[in-house]
Amino acid sequence: MLLLIWAPKAWHRLSPLKPPALLWTPGGEAVHVRYRLLSRQGPGERGRQTQPQGPGFRTRLLITGLFGAGLGGAWLAARAEKERRRQQQRTEALRQAAVGQGDFSLLDHRGQARCKADFRGQWVLMYFGFTHCPDICPDELEKLVQVVQELEAEPGLPPVQPVFITVDPERDTVAAMARYVQDFHPRLLGLTGSAEQVAQVSRSYRVYYSAGPKDEDQDYVVDHSIAIYLLSPDGLFTDYYSRARSAQQIADSVRRHMAAFRSVLH
Amino acid sequence: MAAPSMKERQACWGARDEYWKCLDENTEDASQCKKLRSSFESSCPQQWIKYFDKRRDYLKFKEKFEAGQFQPSKTTAKS
Repeated sequence: MLLLIWAPKAWHRLSPLKPPALLWTPGGEAVHVRYRLLSRQGPGERGRQTQPQGPGFRTRLLITGLFGAGLGGAWLAARAEKERRRQQQRTEALRQAAVGQGDFSLLDHRGQARCKADFRGQWVLMYFGFTHCPDICPDELEKLVQVVQELEAEPGLPPVQPVFITVDPERDTVAAMARYVQDFHPRLLGLTGSAEQVAQVSRSYRVYYSAGPKDEDQDYVVDHSIAIYLLSPDGLFTDYYSRARSAQQIADSVRRHMAAFRSVLH
Repeated sequence: MAAPSMKERQACWGARDEYWKCLDENTEDASQCKKLRSSFESSCPQQWIKYFDKRRDYLKFKEKFEAGQFQPSKTTAKS
């Protein structure tokens, strides 16, 4: 269609030159090409330019430029619309995940029933372990508490809720959990429940656990995956930290997540 | 049987660390550290003793392995 604006006069003028492909890219490049052509015209040509033979060169340039800008604008708008729709779908999927996935129904160490929705609006650092644990669970809980304390000391950061969930429901009763958590942090919440409830929450968080053989004292250790999970205020699993990460590294990571967080609920 | 409290845990870890220090000084000769061993055994639940013994074996193995004391056997090297 642009050729209608430019031909035949332009072609006549351009014939000694190699016509650059009227390369179609939005706005800019086409204009640049045309400016180059314009400069090639020698002084002798100027006389012919002023003859009123349809729209002048500059007018044609302007029309082409506007057309290019229009096309470019339409392309950008279409792209933005596609991005918006994609973002909407993702938000919807995340919203569904926040409600459905990872829900649990457990008792805290005061005997109160708790489910995942209770923690909506808070950042949660969660650890799975058991009270009869020789060394790993106390170490990891100490680390978790250190992270919470470091973040607590910073004004302007929301408080993080530390949670300890047992993988040994047989022995870790509400009373046992209460005795255990008091040694770490006043806000550390212990969660326990029936064997089925613990199995369900462990499945949701992909936590492996397996009770070992009992000895003469009926004592046993529970083999389990070791990780500290970070949940966002939307209840979404956001990050996890292995045994190798230090309290400092975890605190830095939580801070970064807090800064980047945009809620998908409401 | 209730789980050990924080104090009991720390007492157990202390006894374990003493025993392990003795073993380090005596190149794993347990006969030299009998007293610390019985102190360790009385401070910790039996399951923990088994667990810490296994852990000790693993840590020692890891040290040897990292020091290159285990070489691949000739047959695997050829294949």
